[in-house]
Amino acid sequence: MRSASWPRWLLVWLAMGSLVLAVLLVLVRGGLASAGQTSEAPVSAQAPAAMSDDECLRCHSDPDASLSLPSGETISLYSDPAVFRRSVHGDKLNCADCHVRNQTVPHPSLNVVTARDFHRAEYELCKRCHFENYTRTLDSMHFDVVAAGNPFAPVCTDCHTAHSVTRLTESRVQIAKTCSQCHSTIYNDYVQSVHGSALQSEGNPDVPVCTTCHGVHNIQSATTATFRLASVDMCAQCHANKELMDKYGISSNVLKTYLNDFHGKTVGFYQKQSSQVWAETPVCFDCHGVHNITRVDDPNSPVIKENLLPTCRQCHADAGANFPSAWLSHYEPSLQKAPIVFFVKEYYRFLIPLMIMGLIMHISLDLWRLARNR
Amino acid sequence: MAQVVAGSRRATLIQREFVRFKVSQRLEHLLTMICFGVLLLTGLPQKFNDASVSVWVVNSLGGIDNVRLVHRVFATMFIFSAFYHVGAIGLSVVRGKFNPSMAPTLRDFADALVMLRYSVGLSNSKPRFGRYDYRQKFEYWGIVYGGIIMIVSGLTLWFPTYVTRILPGEVVPAAKEMHSGEALLALMVIVTWHMYSVVLSPSHFPGDWSIFTGKISHEKLREEHPLEYIALVGGNLEELEEPPDRVQTPTAATASPPGGGPERAGESARDEPSRG
Repeated sequence: MRSASWPRWLLVWLAMGSLVLAVLLVLVRGGLASAGQTSEAPVSAQAPAAMSDDECLRCHSDPDASLSLPSGETISLYSDPAVFRRSVHGDKLNCADCHVRNQTVPHPSLNVVTARDFHRAEYELCKRCHFENYTRTLDSMHFDVVAAGNPFAPVCTDCHTAHSVTRLTESRVQIAKTCSQCHSTIYNDYVQSVHGSALQSEGNPDVPVCTTCHGVHNIQSATTATFRLASVDMCAQCHANKELMDKYGISSNVLKTYLNDFHGKTVGFYQKQSSQVWAETPVCFDCHGVHNITRVDDPNSPVIKENLLPTCRQCHADAGANFPSAWLSHYEPSLQKAPIVFFVKEYYRFLIPLMIMGLIMHISLDLWRLARNR
Repeated sequence: MAQVVAGSRRATLIQREFVRFKVSQRLEHLLTMICFGVLLLTGLPQKFNDASVSVWVVNSLGGIDNVRLVHRVFATMFIFSAFYHVGAIGLSVVRGKFNPSMAPTLRDFADALVMLRYSVGLSNSKPRFGRYDYRQKFEYWGIVYGGIIMIVSGLTLWFPTYVTRILPGEVVPAAKEMHSGEALLALMVIVTWHMYSVVLSPSHFPGDWSIFTGKISHEKLREEHPLEYIALVGGNLEELEEPPDRVQTPTAATASPPGGGPERAGESARDEPSRG
């Protein structure tokens, strides 16, 4: 209220004054920032010129070049320039582009104890260019393993190698092999599975490899409730794809029939729940197997008719011999596949509209007569 | 005070209201209503699991496991009420008090035809109903039939491993179709038919509350259940046809007549439990 009694010219001056002040502030700050940049430039200009590869190879082309670490381990300092030139970086990078800290000779001393320390320190070099994928790995369960104290969980160079990096996407077989360096048991299951054997024998381009299901850099744990619930849609990415499934004569109806049945409805609701639920209800891989998944007509398949009862009994311990046929094996009820179910379904499909039409007709007649009576 | 009305050949006892349903019958209806509502609320979202409103209902009730638990609790209550209903009928039969007023008769089919002729204007006389008309009987037997289907198929879904000890596995998915189909049918019948016949129909609007109050008015009983009216009050159909001004309406309340007068108020609600 008081300001209303202030002279108007004072208010105008105050407003204009603060506007000018604000503009000045912005200008000054921008100027300071650019001044900071220019002041840094001379520093980098004063840095030694990048070492040439020839200079590096003077020492590092010696196959016996090695370094002893405090832990007693020895690491090789040899690098085959031919291998590097064949790698994906070969025509783009020189030694010094990555090994920036080693541009002075002698190199600054290493502050590492074990060979693993050394590798874990060196892989940080990748992030200078591959920052996005580097940060993804920080969200991965491999990084969680590191955080929990196991330094051997993989870093960039464990999967991609340091100097002979190739495009992993060019070879799906190579992806599975890469993971098998650590996950050998799972790999052995996988190569015998319907997916893995097709990959190995024919280089099938459609079957999933490790990364198809588990992701690449931000690989998540596969034992969480989230992964379990999402796994249904993961399998469906291929198995509900009609075009792809027709190629192999497999039904693409499997997701739909699963979601329409008791198990699938439950999982469907769990997926839409805000809180995390561990689904006791079976998802695809509980019945079909995980890495060792087989064709459904394979004699060893857990879902082939002969083997289905033990599969059901994993949850329904008291199931009898008739019980497995309660599950319609992803078939829609039809005269051939499940005639009783088919007839019940058809019965209600006709009865409900018929009944309601009859009742509404009765109501309409009643109303009609009442209207005429008035 | 009931009144003895002169002017006809015999003394007629007329009351303002009659008791139509016993307390136990009213409670039975209430329980059925609650069970029906809760079972639909927790069952339909499972049938229409893709609808966003289903997801909302399920999440609001604390997840699908909770929903199924509530469904089974109220299903159990419904089963017990069904057993009570049958037991009460059995008891009244044993006591010799059973009145088969809900039993479908040939007359009901004839009534339906008369009603059809009346509705389309082929005739000007409505059928005369007893304690329950054919529509109420249809609904009652619909609930009996539907209740049996729901209980049997529901128990099959609840205990599939026991059922398949004897029966083939296919009965389980068949029970699922039956349970969901019959539920939808029941819902549609209640929404259209029951809501019309007891709430929305111009003859009853804004509602026939006798299943809650237990009472039916003199006029209503006379109009809608003339045969029962005659059975209770006496007289004959011709008298009922008389214009309203010649029928003396009572002034007093529901009290029983003193002494030898028949206890009419209690009479209407026989021992047959009803949901009609």
